[in-house]
Amino acid sequence: MNDAQAGSPSVAGFAMGSATDTAITVAGETLVLLPERAAWWPRARTLLVADVHLGKSATFRRHGLPVPAGSTDENLGRLDACLQRYPARRLLCLGDLTHAAAGHTDRLLARLAAWRGQHPGLAIELVRGNHDRHAGVPATLQLQVHDDVLAEPPFLFCHDLHEPQLRAPQLHAPLLRDPAPTRDGYRLAGHVHPGVLLEAHGDKLRLPCFLFGEREGLLPAFGAFTGLHVVSPGNGDACYPVTPERVFGPLPVQGVRP
Amino acid sequence: MRTADRDRQANSPPASTGDDERSQPDRAETSNDVEGREGWLGPVRASSLTKQIRRARARMRKAETGADTGEEKAPRPRRKRASGRLPDAAALRAGFDAWFDARGWRVFDFQRDVWAHAEAGRSGLLHATTGAGKTWAAWGAALLRASLHARDTDTASLRVLWITPMRALAQDTARALTEPLAALGIDWEVGIRTGDTSSADRARQRTRLPDALVTTPESLSLLLSYPDARERLSGVAAIVVDEWHELLGNKRGVQAQLALARLRRWNPGLVVWGLSATLGDLPHALDVLVPTHATPASGPSPVIVRGEIAKPVVIDSLLPASAERFPWAGHLGLNMLGPVIAELEQSRSTLVFTNTRAQSEQWYQALLAARPDWAGLIALHHGSLDGELREWVERGLKEGSLLAVVCTSSLDLGVDFLPVERVLQIGSPKGVARLLQRAGRSGHAPGRVSRVTCVPAQGLELLEAAAARRAALAGHIEARHSPRAPLDVLVQHLVTIALGGGFRDQDLLAEVRSSHAYRELGDEDWQWALSFVVYGGAALGAYPEYHRVVVDADGEHAGIHRVADDGIARRHRLSIGTITADSAMTVSFLGGSRLGTVEESFIARLKPGDFFLFGGRLLELVRVRDMTAYVRAARANRPAVPRWQGGRMPLSSELAQSVLDLLDEVADGRDAEPETRLLRPLLDLQARWSALPGSDRFLVETLQSREGHHAFFFAFAGRQAHTGMAALFAWRIARQTPRTFSMSFNDYGFELLSDAPVDWHAAFAAGLLDTDALEADILASLNAGELARRKFREIARVAGLVFQGFPGAMKVARQLQASSGLLFDVFTRYDPDNRLLRQAQEEALAQELDMDRLRHAMQALQQRRLDIRATHHATPFAFPLMIERLRERLSTEKLADRVARMVTALEKAADRR
Repeated sequence: MNDAQAGSPSVAGFAMGSATDTAITVAGETLVLLPERAAWWPRARTLLVADVHLGKSATFRRHGLPVPAGSTDENLGRLDACLQRYPARRLLCLGDLTHAAAGHTDRLLARLAAWRGQHPGLAIELVRGNHDRHAGVPATLQLQVHDDVLAEPPFLFCHDLHEPQLRAPQLHAPLLRDPAPTRDGYRLAGHVHPGVLLEAHGDKLRLPCFLFGEREGLLPAFGAFTGLHVVSPGNGDACYPVTPERVFGPLPVQGVRP
Repeated sequence: MRTADRDRQANSPPASTGDDERSQPDRAETSNDVEGREGWLGPVRASSLTKQIRRARARMRKAETGADTGEEKAPRPRRKRASGRLPDAAALRAGFDAWFDARGWRVFDFQRDVWAHAEAGRSGLLHATTGAGKTWAAWGAALLRASLHARDTDTASLRVLWITPMRALAQDTARALTEPLAALGIDWEVGIRTGDTSSADRARQRTRLPDALVTTPESLSLLLSYPDARERLSGVAAIVVDEWHELLGNKRGVQAQLALARLRRWNPGLVVWGLSATLGDLPHALDVLVPTHATPASGPSPVIVRGEIAKPVVIDSLLPASAERFPWAGHLGLNMLGPVIAELEQSRSTLVFTNTRAQSEQWYQALLAARPDWAGLIALHHGSLDGELREWVERGLKEGSLLAVVCTSSLDLGVDFLPVERVLQIGSPKGVARLLQRAGRSGHAPGRVSRVTCVPAQGLELLEAAAARRAALAGHIEARHSPRAPLDVLVQHLVTIALGGGFRDQDLLAEVRSSHAYRELGDEDWQWALSFVVYGGAALGAYPEYHRVVVDADGEHAGIHRVADDGIARRHRLSIGTITADSAMTVSFLGGSRLGTVEESFIARLKPGDFFLFGGRLLELVRVRDMTAYVRAARANRPAVPRWQGGRMPLSSELAQSVLDLLDEVADGRDAEPETRLLRPLLDLQARWSALPGSDRFLVETLQSREGHHAFFFAFAGRQAHTGMAALFAWRIARQTPRTFSMSFNDYGFELLSDAPVDWHAAFAAGLLDTDALEADILASLNAGELARRKFREIARVAGLVFQGFPGAMKVARQLQASSGLLFDVFTRYDPDNRLLRQAQEEALAQELDMDRLRHAMQALQQRRLDIRATHHATPFAFPLMIERLRERLSTEKLADRVARMVTALEKAADRR
């Protein structure tokens, strides 16, 4: 672990909310990792999430794939839980807030409008992700959209670390091993839906995780109906697996097998 | 950071035969590679290069025009020809006689029997070994039946359906069926419809079907999904189901059962004949094909006909000079390399069957290393290799240009390779039927016998070879049973029929219940399946955006269920089928030449720089991109073992029982078989240190070592059932006194190891073998949720929850990607009563743990005498179980060292005592 270090849970005078949260230092800033699969950035009073994929199950149903509903309520409920614990001024989503245009059903839009009404003072910003680009952004959420990158030193917020404008000419560098980003800053991104495979005594468990390397970090997918992409943290990567109850970690790297 | 493993299941076990190698089965017609358009029976095989060009063109065409769903596309002009009228029955019989005569054959009695039965409107099952003339019996029967059954309209041109489980066989079958037609004076077109059929041919078939069609269960379902299916298919007079034993026990067979039920309703006089290899419980096999509960009592009752020429089958063993007293299978039988080479030298052409792909790769390597002069004369054949390579090998076998082919069950079925003289089986055959099937691949040339020689990978497998011979002689052959009312297949069928002209609730229910698999389908399950496709769940009208199947509310079509949305229709047609394969990854050289495919989960376990054996070469993984594993030939001589799972068939009950019977004889001092004579030292040692397992006793051995307290249970119920039994025993013991066990299993028994002793006498007295709360206890003792999650993969695909995408619609497909594991979690959380979840749990119990067998085995064990022996050393039967446990922990080399040390120590002990 270089930039990312486990810090003490008494940060900047804000209430820590819960013993389940884990405060760490990334690029000199404090971030609090929440078991809801979100991160709280106290200095900017910002709640960070990625890959919410609202309306995904409705998209499936519209195409004739019978997936049960319930994930939207769960997503919004978890957002509320975070917003209750932390005095957020702003919700920043690192891409893929919604899933597809076909999923923007009347019911979903009504549900989102009602939820938005409960948080009138909250600014919502979105760094556009690949899904948002195709799906469009529901106006009912009254949010501010950033096209590719949002620079707020020391962070550079983006959706996909492999977006061309962020990447040096050496293509296909492995994830988080991209040696020369074209813009300065610690990049925080989503898109990958990182997960980690824990193995011990013949027991296996796959959990979503936060992952922080030297120059960039990944947030887990926030959405209730999202899959996992198992990643293998390398040396110097700090990996924090998440269960609904608490955030663990950082994992010792040798404890993780591909 | 290296990426691996996108949300998906690792190596889920193959569908239902437990055998992943078979056929290149039809995934409906979704496959995006259109095989060379050898098309309409063209006897000319395109050269490799032109074929490649055609393929590439076909792919481009597809990418341009979008998915190929068999929709009309510029049909070829209809062939001008006579109306395909048939001679009358007498002329046909005479014609067949003449045609047989001309080839120097004679019509066998069983063939005449089948013809007569069919003419009388009787359906049935014909079983015989391969090469006995089943094809002509069935083809004659179908033609005779069709000649009686008058043709109604020109569109209903299709008269005979020939269903085959392997699309690779379709071409050869169609060619064979065409052979006698000219001599019989029949101007018929024999067509093919499988996943390989080109879009042009499909379009042609949309206009007009041929007179006879060779097809797969998947493609037949697809035919049923078109609105005019009834018009076009109700003229079918006879159906032949080839290799019925391959379909009988699995969901593909259930799909065929549903299609047959439909065709039978359209034509009550339909005659259906199944062709099967020798199989146990033939009446059941017949009833699944032609259910008696759905046959009108007045009609002719179906019959079983046996192909009478008992082709002699020889089952023997390649005996090693001496049998090891402490058997260990870790060397994959390669210690028999020398004797095997000697055998290969003596025959013109030999098939060498192995049980796993990994083993076939290693044997091929070892043979080449020992006989470099055989390069080009020996070949490798397994399910992962590139199709063209496999075709080349098969051609070599047909032409007799290959001395030996090392293969897996990929060559169990298929056309006859006349030149093959011998079959070798490396390792245990696991079942009697399987061994007979493999034996039947040899000796097709006139005057020859089928001969299979078992090559033991370890000493105890000699016992299995002798036992298999005994069981085959006694006719104790494994049965296969139809699945019972799988809801995923039903859900798929409902949508298929909603597309194929629509249906009314009660009409279709009656039709579905007329099949064997669904004869006891409950009203609740039916209602659930119906509301699942109409409403997306049990909740009525919960999802306004869901319109998979709609019900017409009024007008003359009120109550008709149908599919209204074109996108849903297209996607469903592409998804028809019940086969789920692990997603395959192409293995390709850096320069681009393609070697074959391998499960993604296998590649995911490798790092760039790792070595693995594939296609007979040692390869180094360079990188993985776009579902392709790029490799280069490995230079260094570093050992590498591909670790594919699968191929772990359990020992069948029949074979296990036969092994026990043989052990009884040995215990009585009789050595009737050469194998048991060779095994004498091992068996004597087992008897001296403990006792021989036998059919009247349940042998349990206890042993204390530095590792802890071992208990070995020889239940002879097969590996799967032992897995469940071990977990159950451990759980029941731990319920009394908390304790941790390590476990290992093989086909003969299982081991429980703990750090404190267990009073097993007391445990058995307290009901360790109780079967009252068996299911609940098993569920509690195992991570049943994880097993069910794995099973859900297939169910989700069959029920249409997972859509695999198709070329030309990438955008939609990407939005609809979700792994079955994710869906399992979502359903568990938001729709826990979904019956597909319950089905997943039931299948996990039945298939992963062999629940029925587990229950029967436990009941049988209760009847046997419990014989608990305290031993001082690992006995010859216990030793393999100890190794099996160590295998989980140690790398291959370390394991080999350790095993060698253990064997030395045990041999010393054996010589002393």
